[in-house]
Amino acid sequence: MIFQTPIMALLLVAGLASLTALWSGGFAVQVLRRWNLADMSRAQLQRERATELVSTLFAAVMLAELAALLLFVFNADRMASLFVGAMCAVGTLNVNGYGFPALYLKIGVFFAAVLWLMLDRADRMGRDYPLTRVKYGVLLAIVPLVLADAGTELAYFLNMHTDVITSCCSKLFTPANAGLANEMASIGPGASLWLLGGAGVFVAATGGFALWRGRGFGLYALASVLMFALALTAVVSVISPYIYEYPNHHCPFCILKPEYNYYGYALYIPLFLGTGLGVGAGMLSLFRSRESLAEKLPAMIRRQVIWSMAGFAGFGLATLYAIASSNLIIFG
Amino acid sequence: MTPWLRRQRALADYTLASLARRKGKNIALVAVYAIVVFVLASAMFFAASLRLETSAVLRDAPEVTVQKITMGRQDLIDGAVADEIGKIRGVTSAKPRLWGYYYDRIVGANYTVMVPDDPEMIPEPGSVIVGEGIPRARGFKWSGAPLFLSRYEGDLKRFNVARAFESDSALMTSDLMLMNETDFRDFFEIPAGLYTDVVATVRNPNEVATIVEKGSNALPQMRFVTRSDIERTYQKLFDWREGLLAALAAAGILAFVIFAAEKASGLSAEEMREIGILKAVGWDTRDVIAMKLWEGGLVSLGAFLLGTVTAFAHVFFFGAPLFAPILKGWAVIYPDFALAPHVDGLELLTLALLTIVPYIAATLVPIWRVASGDPDAVMR
Amino acid sequence: MITLTSVTKLYNEGRPNEVQALKGIDLEIARDAITVLKGPSGSGKTTLLSIVACMARPTTGRVTLDGEVVSGLPERFLTELRRTTFGFVFQRFNLIRGLSVIENVMLPAAPLGGDHATVRERALERLAALDLADKATMPVEFLSGGETQRAAIARALINDAPIVIADEPTANLDTELTMRFLEIVRALRAEGKTVIMTSHDPRIWDAEGVDAVVEMRDGAIFGEFA
Ligand SMILES: Nc1ncnc2c1ncn2[C@@H]1O[C@H](COP(=O)(O)OP(=O)(O)OP(=O)(O)O)[C@@H](O)[C@H]1O
Ligand SMILES: [Mg+2]
Repeated sequence: MIFQTPIMALLLVAGLASLTALWSGGFAVQVLRRWNLADMSRAQLQRERATELVSTLFAAVMLAELAALLLFVFNADRMASLFVGAMCAVGTLNVNGYGFPALYLKIGVFFAAVLWLMLDRADRMGRDYPLTRVKYGVLLAIVPLVLADAGTELAYFLNMHTDVITSCCSKLFTPANAGLANEMASIGPGASLWLLGGAGVFVAATGGFALWRGRGFGLYALASVLMFALALTAVVSVISPYIYEYPNHHCPFCILKPEYNYYGYALYIPLFLGTGLGVGAGMLSLFRSRESLAEKLPAMIRRQVIWSMAGFAGFGLATLYAIASSNLIIFG
Repeated sequence: MTPWLRRQRALADYTLASLARRKGKNIALVAVYAIVVFVLASAMFFAASLRLETSAVLRDAPEVTVQKITMGRQDLIDGAVADEIGKIRGVTSAKPRLWGYYYDRIVGANYTVMVPDDPEMIPEPGSVIVGEGIPRARGFKWSGAPLFLSRYEGDLKRFNVARAFESDSALMTSDLMLMNETDFRDFFEIPAGLYTDVVATVRNPNEVATIVEKGSNALPQMRFVTRSDIERTYQKLFDWREGLLAALAAAGILAFVIFAAEKASGLSAEEMREIGILKAVGWDTRDVIAMKLWEGGLVSLGAFLLGTVTAFAHVFFFGAPLFAPILKGWAVIYPDFALAPHVDGLELLTLALLTIVPYIAATLVPIWRVASGDPDAVMR
Repeated sequence: MITLTSVTKLYNEGRPNEVQALKGIDLEIARDAITVLKGPSGSGKTTLLSIVACMARPTTGRVTLDGEVVSGLPERFLTELRRTTFGFVFQRFNLIRGLSVIENVMLPAAPLGGDHATVRERALERLAALDLADKATMPVEFLSGGETQRAAIARALINDAPIVIADEPTANLDTELTMRFLEIVRALRAEGKTVIMTSHDPRIWDAEGVDAVVEMRDGAIFGEFA
C-alpha cells in the first residue's frame, strides 16, 4: 500500500458511493415490492419522497465519480515516477492485475450513473411515475457494479508495490506484442481512419434519420457504441502518434499529459458525451410510447440525439485538428 | 436564460439572502470548514513543492553512484574503480568523490562536508565555504568570524569562512560545508587514493539499466545506485509524510463532518418554519433540496477558497511554519528558503474531493429530511 | 368546479393518537364565487382547505378540479398544480422574517423559473394595487397587522392563480381592517377569481358578495347556505 493523499480521496469516494449504492439498493427492493400509486397512505407518500433522496444521491455520486475518474487517471500518471519502468498512467495501472479492471469499472459506473439519471429524468416527466419500477430494477443492477468498483480499487491500491517492475505504454501499445491493446495499435493508420470516417457517416445517417422520422433511435444507440469503439481504436492507432509526432508511440494516456497540452481531454470528453447521450437516447426510446410520457419524452430524446451528434462532431473536429496541426506525416 | 437557469438563479438568490440573515452561524461554519481545508491544503502544497524541489535538485545529480560495500556497510572506495567504470560503454565520465557528515557537538547539528568538483568552489587551504545554514546555526554575528570545529573532546580545528553561499534550493545545501581535498583528508583522516564513492554520468538515460548490469558484473563488491532510485526514495518519503499529515487531517475532517451533520439536522424552529412556509407557498421537495444544495455549495466554495488561499500564503509566503518540522524531517537545520509557489489540478481536485465530498455526504440526508416535510405543516 | 367525494382525512394514521379530521365529505365548490367555510374550532376547516388546495392528499376519497382527478397525483405534480392554480393566505400569514416585503411576495414564483425582472414588476404591481408599494423593500417584521395581511395577499396573487384561498383572514383584525379586507376580496372576485375562505367571524359570513356558506362540525358538513 502506498500512503498517498489522492489515493485516500479515491477510496473515500468509492466508499461513500458503495454506501449510497447499498442503501439505495435496499430502498429499490422496497419499491419493487410495495410501490403502489393507488395507495394514498402515508407510507407510500414517504416512499415517493424517498425517491427524491435517491435521485439526489445518485446525481451526487455521478459527479463525485466523474471527478474520481479524472483523479484516478491523473494520479496514475503522477505515480509513474514511483515504479521502475512506468512512464505514464499505463505503467502505474499495470503494477498489478487490478489497475485496468478498476479503470474500466470506474468508467462503467460513471456511464451507468449517467444512464440512470436519464431514466430518472424521464420518469419525472409523467404524472404516474411511469418508469419507477424500471428505474429501481436498473438500480439493483448498478449496485454490484459500484461495489465491484470499490473493491477492485481497494485491491489495486493495497497491492501496489514499488519494487515491481512494470511495463508501460511503449511495451503495451506496440504492434509487436499480442493482446487487444497491441491489436488496436497495429491496425494500419489508413484503415483505422477509414473505419472511423465510416462510423462517423453511420452516426450522422442514423442520427439524421432518427431526428427526421422520429424512430430508429435504437439503431442510433448502436451506431454510438460502434463509434465509441472505433474512435478509441483510432486514438491508439493514428491520432495519438500524430499528437506525439512520433509514429511508434501509441499510448492513449500520455495525450492527457500537460506536455501534450492536455489534448486528450479535447478528444475524450466529447466522445464520452456523445456516446453516453446516444446510448441514453436509445434506452429512453423504449419508453417513448408510454402514455404519460408521450408528450414530453420524444423531445428529450431528440435533444439527446442532437447533443450526442454534436459530441461526436466535436471529437471529429479535435481529430482533424490534431492531424492537421501535427508535423508528423504518415500518409503521402 | 432558460427557465432552468432562472430557477437556479432564484434559488441562489434566496439562499444568499438566507445565509446573510444567519451570519453568525454561517461564519462559524465556514471558519471551521476553512480550517480543515487549510490544514490539508498546507500539507499537500508543502509536500508537493518539496517533491518538485527534490526533482529539480536531482536533475543535475549524476545518473549512477557507485559505493563499495564491506560487511554490508558502505566503505571507502579505491579511486581506481572510477577508471574502470569510465571504460564501460555509454559512460561519459566517472569521478571519485570525497564527502561525509560532520556532527557539530556545539549546536547539535549535522553538516555535510564535501570536496567540490567545481574548481571555483574549492576554498584555500585552511578555509571553508559554507551554506547559509551553518553561520545561522552557530549564531555568527559578523561575517569573517572563524569557524572552530571539534571532532572529539579536546580537539579544536580552526577554519576561516571564505564565504557563505545562498541558494534558491537550499533543501540540500543549507548545511553544506566545502573543503579542499588536503584539508578534508586531514580532517577526517582518510588515506590518499581512497574516496567516499564514485559518480558516473551516462550518455543516454535509457541505457542506465544496462550499464548498471555490466558494472555489477565487472565489480561485484560495488553497489550501484541510480538517480531514479534516489528520486523514488525521496518521493516515497514525502508521500508518506504527506499521507501521515492527511491521515491526521482525516480525524479533523471526521470531527467537522459530525459537526456539519449536526448543524444540518438540528435546524432551529425558525428555520424549520421557513422551510415549511416555502413548501406551503408552492416549493417542491426538490426545490428545497436544490436551495439547500446551493447553500452547501456556497459554504463549501467559500471555505474552500478561504482555506486554499490561506494555505497557499502559509506555505509559499511564510514557509509553512506550522508543518515544516514534520515534513522536512527532523534535522536541526531547516533550510531557510522560499518554496517555489506551485499548485496543480491534481492537488486541487484531491483537496476538493477530500473536503467537499464528506461535507455534502454528511448534510445530504439531513437536508432531504428537512425538505420532505408536509407542505400543510405551517397551516395551523 | 371543485368536487369532493367521500373525502376523509386521518392524521397519525394507524397510531394511537390517530385523529379523523374529515369524515366522508361530499361537497361542490363553485368557481366564480366567494365561498366561506364556517364552523367551530377543530371542526376541520383548515384540513378541508388544505385538501382542496392540493397541499395534502386525502386518506380516502376523490377530489376533482375542473373535471380532472387530483387526489391521486404524486406530490410533485400536486405542488406544480398548486403553484399555478392556488394562491394561499395563511391563518398566520406566514411571511418569512428577515426578508423584505417584495422578496416575500416573489417567493412562490422562484421554482417556476420566470424572468426575474418580469416577476419583480408583477410583484410591484400587486403591491401597488394593495397600497403597499412604498413598503416594498421594508423587512416584513416592521409591518403593521393590516399591512402584513395585504403583503400575504400580494404573495398569494403573484403567480396569477385563478383560485385564492384564505384561512381565517380576519382573525386578528379590527372592524375597519376587516371591511378593508372584504373590499379587496370583492375586487378579486370582480377580476374573475374564485375565492374560498374559512371564518368564525359573522362579519364575513354575512358580508355582501359572499355567494355560499358551508358550515362544518366535527369533520362533517353540517349545512350549506347560499
Ligand atoms: N397534523 C395533525 N396531527 C394531528 N391532528 C391534527 C393535525 N392537524 C389537525 N389535526 C386535528 O384535526 C382536527 C381539525 O383541525 P383543523 O385545523 O382542520 O380545524 P379548524 O376547523 O381549522 O380549526 P380552527 O378554527 O381552530 O382553525 C383538529 O381536531 C386537530 O386537532
Ligand atoms: Mg383552522
